[in-house]
Amino acid sequence: MSNDATYDPTPSNEELEAHLQTRNMVLNLGPSHPATHGTVRLRLELDGETIVKMDPEIGYLHRGFQKSCENVTWMQALPYTDRLDYVASLTNNFGFLSAIEHLMGVEIPERAQYIRVVGAELHRIASHLTTAAALGLELGGFTAFLYGVEARELIIDRVTELTGARLTTNFGRIGGLNRDLPPGWAEKVLKSLVKIEELTAEVDGLLTRNRIFTDRTRGTGVITRDDALDFGFTGPCLRACGVSYDVRKATPYWVYDRLDWEVPVGMNGDNFDRYYLRILEIHQSIKMIRQALEQLPEGPVIIDDWRIVLPPKDDVYGTIEGLIAHFKVVMEGVPVPPGELYHSTESANGELGWYLRSDGSGRPYKVHVRAPGFQILSGMQRLCEGRMLADLVPTFDTINMIGGEVEQ
Amino acid sequence: MRIGMIFISISLIVGALFTLMGASYALAGWLESLELFAGAGHLGAILVQMLVMVMVTATLLTLAERKWSALMQDRVGPNRARLPIPGLKDNPLAGLPHIATDVLKMLTKEAFRPKAASKFLFNLGPILAFAPVFALFAIVPAGPTVEVMGKQVMMVAANPDFGLLFLFAIASLAVYGTSLAGWASNNKFGLLGGVRASSQMVSYEVALGLSLVGMMLAFSTVKLAGPTGMTALQAPYLWSFNLLGLDVGIPRWGIFLQPLGFLLFFAAAFAETKRAPFDTPEGESEIVGYFIEYSGMQFGMFMISEFVEVVVLSGVLAAIFFGGYYLPFGNEALMGLPVMKAHPWLLGATLGTVFWLKVILLCYLQLAIRWTFPRFRYDQIQTLGWKILLPLGLANLFISGALVLWDPSLHSLALFGFVVLGVIVFLTLTPSRQVRLAKQAEEVHGGHGHGDDHSLPANTH
Repeated sequence: MSNDATYDPTPSNEELEAHLQTRNMVLNLGPSHPATHGTVRLRLELDGETIVKMDPEIGYLHRGFQKSCENVTWMQALPYTDRLDYVASLTNNFGFLSAIEHLMGVEIPERAQYIRVVGAELHRIASHLTTAAALGLELGGFTAFLYGVEARELIIDRVTELTGARLTTNFGRIGGLNRDLPPGWAEKVLKSLVKIEELTAEVDGLLTRNRIFTDRTRGTGVITRDDALDFGFTGPCLRACGVSYDVRKATPYWVYDRLDWEVPVGMNGDNFDRYYLRILEIHQSIKMIRQALEQLPEGPVIIDDWRIVLPPKDDVYGTIEGLIAHFKVVMEGVPVPPGELYHSTESANGELGWYLRSDGSGRPYKVHVRAPGFQILSGMQRLCEGRMLADLVPTFDTINMIGGEVEQ
Repeated sequence: MRIGMIFISISLIVGALFTLMGASYALAGWLESLELFAGAGHLGAILVQMLVMVMVTATLLTLAERKWSALMQDRVGPNRARLPIPGLKDNPLAGLPHIATDVLKMLTKEAFRPKAASKFLFNLGPILAFAPVFALFAIVPAGPTVEVMGKQVMMVAANPDFGLLFLFAIASLAVYGTSLAGWASNNKFGLLGGVRASSQMVSYEVALGLSLVGMMLAFSTVKLAGPTGMTALQAPYLWSFNLLGLDVGIPRWGIFLQPLGFLLFFAAAFAETKRAPFDTPEGESEIVGYFIEYSGMQFGMFMISEFVEVVVLSGVLAAIFFGGYYLPFGNEALMGLPVMKAHPWLLGATLGTVFWLKVILLCYLQLAIRWTFPRFRYDQIQTLGWKILLPLGLANLFISGALVLWDPSLHSLALFGFVVLGVIVFLTLTPSRQVRLAKQAEEVHGGHGHGDDHSLPANTH
């Protein structure tokens, strides 16, 4: 200090107003965490409780679905599709079969189409119930969750009676279905639907009008219509933003155009809309199942072409033609003509697309799945960044990421 | 058969409560008659009320929570644990063996401590979480002051002049256990939980204190027990008449004088206990909880302290707002009975049973709330505390103060209280605007789901 006159001991304004040096906290949510459905790691950068940056890291459930499909016959790939969206496996089974049938140019019997609608809608209800009720669980309302699970259990019971399995249904064959409805099944389903409606009303009553619930879900996890379209959202997540796009209405398959139903559409693209839309869709699906069971025609459930379907056991054991046909279908696979196509159906989470390519042998040359959850998960950042940690958990539920289909 | 079982269970509970209360009075009277030191009778209250009644009720609540939540959720609830005794082998005993198995599990598990955790503070956490909660019950009177073995016996562990201030002071200590546990475990989730807990508990202190000032004004005391305590002052009637020798009327209970104060206190105290819907520090689906690194009995301490909190909060609520150990009516008739005059301990045991029944009912209320509501978000809790509870508490304080000044007989305060109660009931029963609009829409469209536009109702936001 040679020149004392110029020395000013009071700190400058910038020094006084400078913020404390803080560092953001990096938090690993998952891969094993109660909120991560399936196994996914969310790498979060937190400023206090606000999410600055979020990075979903997938791969913990990768099973090599696409490559595995290339090593087996077309029908042997069907069980793999159960493991995609394991909450609604019938929609995957039927979607995959539908794509193959389109590639082959096969028209399935009417009865099979109706039963596929019933099965797919049953599993859509199951998936929506799981998502809507689990939102209660994420927000600490355990009771609503258990009501939803009780209703889902009824569906799983009916699906078990139909397919023989609770989760991995492996139902349907190329050209129709491998078995008809069990006797009395339709009446049981109608009875269950009444109970499911009651339980859905319970979930609805516990959550939808609850002030804490609406405060937690409205205006959180918002995505605009344009962003959603850019990311490639489909299904309930897109419709919650106000886009009325449903594959079942846009390009009707099976018998969806013969049923009287509507596409519910949301407005704000927030968690509440995504939740409530699913409740409305459950009612629409129930309506569809009732109509489909009423209109259900008599007749075969699978086409009568021994090159594609397995012959009846009597013919296999009794005739040489049957035995040869059985041998060829099992050993060589179904002969799918060379060609490629993209075909999509509406799964519980959105547009489930299949890009299939066949080289004429009995095995797929390439099977690519456009799983709806992947696009939605990639939009997760947009939904969560700048929001609070506590909002991440319900948002992660309402987008309904299913590890099986995202990571294949 | 079922009704008979329910009747037997209720009589068993009432009988057990009555016996324990009787024993409590007998013990306190005997200790007092020994004349060891002044106020030795309080030891009886400490031993029986705090160590037996509170702890046993809290332990039973761990089972009750599971059984009651099972009732609400269409489940059976715990029934797997059986006693390997012939005759009882096939009887689930309403799940009672589960308490024993839980304790065994907790005690035999490894008490794990993360390497980088601060050893001293980590071990201190559960202790600090448990002790203040437990100590809160000290000022709650569980029964009247009666004469046993020629000595006046008070059924309260301590009756300091500062009464409710003790409650505020000790309640604010509980935050240390929680935030220390979160911080000392050196876990990011735990840290988040600890921070959430401390901010929530600190901000609700204010509303908690303010909500009780109305009651202090009304009775001009901060004491709970004793003849000049809040409990005793709640027994007289506001309006009463005599019905066949039984006195019937509306007592001066806190719930009638201060319904708003009750709601505010209940909400604030609920937030202090960190139970749903205020369980953000735990938030098991988000951050798993401030006790994430604890295992074994240390975790058990956090768990049991939560249940003790429920019991203690019910006790405090019963003592301040529900007339403590007094019946809603018929107190004079009961005290006038010759058998009660001849054996005062009988009166004490009867009224003590009444107190504990009230506590059990309030515990049920708390658990019903816990199993019905979703969880608040951390910033919404702050909004509720500072922007809603605090201004309401201030308004309640000013109005109550003015009314007490204007009419010291508390009649106008009670009338105001009834108006508030009426408004609350009206607001609760009136369907919200959304529900009304939805009903209208349903009538117009003639049933659900027949509208042309099936978008969400425009008024949802």
